[in-house]
Amino acid sequence: MTIYDIAHESWLSISGNKMRSFLTVLGIVIGIMAVVVMVAVGETVQQSITDQFSSLGTNTLMIRAGAAQSAGVRTGNRMTLTMNDVEELSKLPDVAAISPVENSSAQVVYGNKNWATSVVGVYPGYTIVQNIEMEYGSFFDTSAVRNASTYAVIGHDTAEELDLPKNPVGEVIRVRNTPLTIIGVTKAKGDSGMMSMDDMVIVPITTLKKRVVGSRFPNAVQMIAVKLYQDADNNVVSDQITALLRQRHKLKDTDDDDFQITDMKQVMETMNTVSSYLTLLLVAIAAVSLLVGSIGIMNMMLVSVAERTREIGIRKAIGAQESTIIIQFLSESIMISFIGSMFGLFLGVGLSQGVGRFILNYNVPFSIWPVVVSISVAVFVGLASGVMPAIKAAKLNPIDSLRYE
Amino acid sequence: MKQTPIISMKKICKTYPLEIGGEQQVLFDNTFNIMPGEFVAIMGPSGSGKSTCMNIIGALDSATSGTYELYGKDITTMTPDELARVRNEYIGFVFQNFNLLPKRNILDNVMLPLMYRGLPMSQRIERACEMLKLVNLEKFETYLPTQLSGGMKQRVAIARALAGNPKIILADEPTGALDSKMGNEILRFFKKLNQDIGITIVMITHEFEIASYAKRVIHIYDGHITYDGPIPKSESVLIKSEQRAHKK
Repeated sequence: MTIYDIAHESWLSISGNKMRSFLTVLGIVIGIMAVVVMVAVGETVQQSITDQFSSLGTNTLMIRAGAAQSAGVRTGNRMTLTMNDVEELSKLPDVAAISPVENSSAQVVYGNKNWATSVVGVYPGYTIVQNIEMEYGSFFDTSAVRNASTYAVIGHDTAEELDLPKNPVGEVIRVRNTPLTIIGVTKAKGDSGMMSMDDMVIVPITTLKKRVVGSRFPNAVQMIAVKLYQDADNNVVSDQITALLRQRHKLKDTDDDDFQITDMKQVMETMNTVSSYLTLLLVAIAAVSLLVGSIGIMNMMLVSVAERTREIGIRKAIGAQESTIIIQFLSESIMISFIGSMFGLFLGVGLSQGVGRFILNYNVPFSIWPVVVSISVAVFVGLASGVMPAIKAAKLNPIDSLRYE
Repeated sequence: MKQTPIISMKKICKTYPLEIGGEQQVLFDNTFNIMPGEFVAIMGPSGSGKSTCMNIIGALDSATSGTYELYGKDITTMTPDELARVRNEYIGFVFQNFNLLPKRNILDNVMLPLMYRGLPMSQRIERACEMLKLVNLEKFETYLPTQLSGGMKQRVAIARALAGNPKIILADEPTGALDSKMGNEILRFFKKLNQDIGITIVMITHEFEIASYAKRVIHIYDGHITYDGPIPKSESVLIKSEQRAHKK
C-alpha cells in the first residue's frame, strides 16, 4: 500500500460517515482552538508587560515616601522624601537621570472643554527617566523649575480630549484656575502601567506645589524616579540609595526604612512569572477540552471497528496483513485529528488576531509554536486515540469477522 | 512427468475449544491432494466440517495437526501475516454472501487485492477493468454493490477473486444467495473458467446438483472424508458412503 492508498482509504472511511466524523472533528477543533486562543491571551499579556516596561526601561528605580510608624504600628503616609534627597541622590555615580514626582488630579479646562486628568510635577530629567519623546514643542528646562514657570507639557490623549489645535504650543489651559501655557505635547506611547503617560499634564514640580496645589510642604516629594546607566546593577544602586537615605533621615539600625524602593526590573520579572503561570493555567484548562476531543476520536474509532468487523474480515481474507489494518485505522484517527487541528489552529489564530486587532485594537503577537504544537498534538492525539482500536481491528480473526452480522 | 499437487493435505485434524470446557474435534485425519486445473466440489451436510476444511484450504485457519502444503510450501506453521500474503497471491475467494465492500464502487472492490499486493494504480485499474469485462460488468465500474442484483454482485466477487491472478478459486456456497437461474449462470461461468483458463476451483456445497458441475467430489461426513472421486451418477453413492462411515 502506498501513502496515497492509505490516505485515500482513510478519507473514504471518514467521509463515509459525514455527521459522525464532523462531530468528532469538532471536538478536536474546539480543543485546539481553545489552546491556541489561551496561548495568544498569555502571550499578549506578557507582550503587554514587556511593552510597558520597555517604554519605561527596566533600569529604573522608584522611591516612594514610606508609611509612618508609631510603636511598630503603621499610622499613615508621611512626607519622608525631600527635594534635598533628590539633589543628594543625583550625585550617585550610577544615576543617569533623576526626578521627583508629585502627582495630583485636577480638572483641566481649555475654552469650553474640560477634562479630568493627572497633573504631574517633575524635573526636566523626567523625560529621560520615562523615555518621553516630544510630538510638538519642547519640555521645560531647569530654569522653569527654578522660577515655577506656568508651563505645561501635555499628553497626546489629553490634547485630543481637550479638542486642542493640532499643534497646541502656545495655547493656554487652566488647571485649578491656574493658567498654564502649553509648551509641548508628548508623543503617544500607549498605555504605560497604572497611569497612562498619554493622558496627563506635566508641569515643573515647583509650579505644581506653589501655584496649582498650594502645598504646605513645598520641599516634600511623594516619589523619586531614578534612571540608572545601562551597565549599573539595580541591586547595588538600590543598596546605595537605601544607605544614603537612611543616613540622611537619621534612622537608627533598629528603625525600618521610611521609604520604599521599587526595582522595575524585579517588578517586570515578577509580572512575567505570574503571567507565565497564568498562561500555563489557561492552557491546562484548554487542554482538558482537547483531551475530551481525543476521547471522542477513540470512541468513534472503537465504534468504527465494531461496525466494520465484516469489512476487516474481507480485507484480511483477500490479503491485508495485520500491520496494514493497523496503519489504516491509525491513519484514519490521525487524519481526523489533523483535520480538526488545522481547523482549530486557523480558527484560534483568526479569533485571537481578529479580536485583538479589530475589537481590542491591540496587536496580538503571532508565534509559530502553536502551529508546531497543534501539528504535534494532532499526530499524538491521533496515534494515542487510534492505537487501541487499530490493534483491536488487526487482531480480529478473519473467519469470525466474515461471519459477523 | 509427475505433477505436483496444488493442495496437499495430510492427516489434517481440527479441534475447537468449547466455551463450557473441553474441546470438540471437527476434522479427523483428512488427507487428499488437489492437482492444478481440477474442479473439485467439497460436499457434506451442515455441520460435517466442510467449511472448516475450506477455511484451512483458504489459509484463513490453521490445522490443529497434520500438514498442509500449498504449491509445495508448508503453510501449517506460517504467521498470520505470511498467511495473508499466501491468500493474496494464491487464493481467490468467492463467498456465499458476496462480501463486497458496500461503500466502495465496483472498480474499487475489484482492485482491492491488487492494492494489498502493492501494484501501481495504473496496473490495478487496467487489470480490474479487464476482469470486469470478463464477467460482463465493464459498464458498471462506478456502481455501488447495493445498486446491483445478486447475480451481478457474485460476478463482481468472481472478478475480484480473479484480479490477483490466483492459483485457486475457493468458492464457499457461491450460489447459496442466488435464485436457480442466476446460480446456474455462475456455475457455468466457473466451469468455463476451469476449462478455458485451467484455473483450479474448489467449491463448497451441500447440494449434489451444484457439485455435479465439478469433475471430482470430496464428501465429508462428521469430519471424515467418506468419498473422494469423480462425480457419481447419483447422490445415493454419497449417502451410502455416509452410512458406511456412520457404521464404523
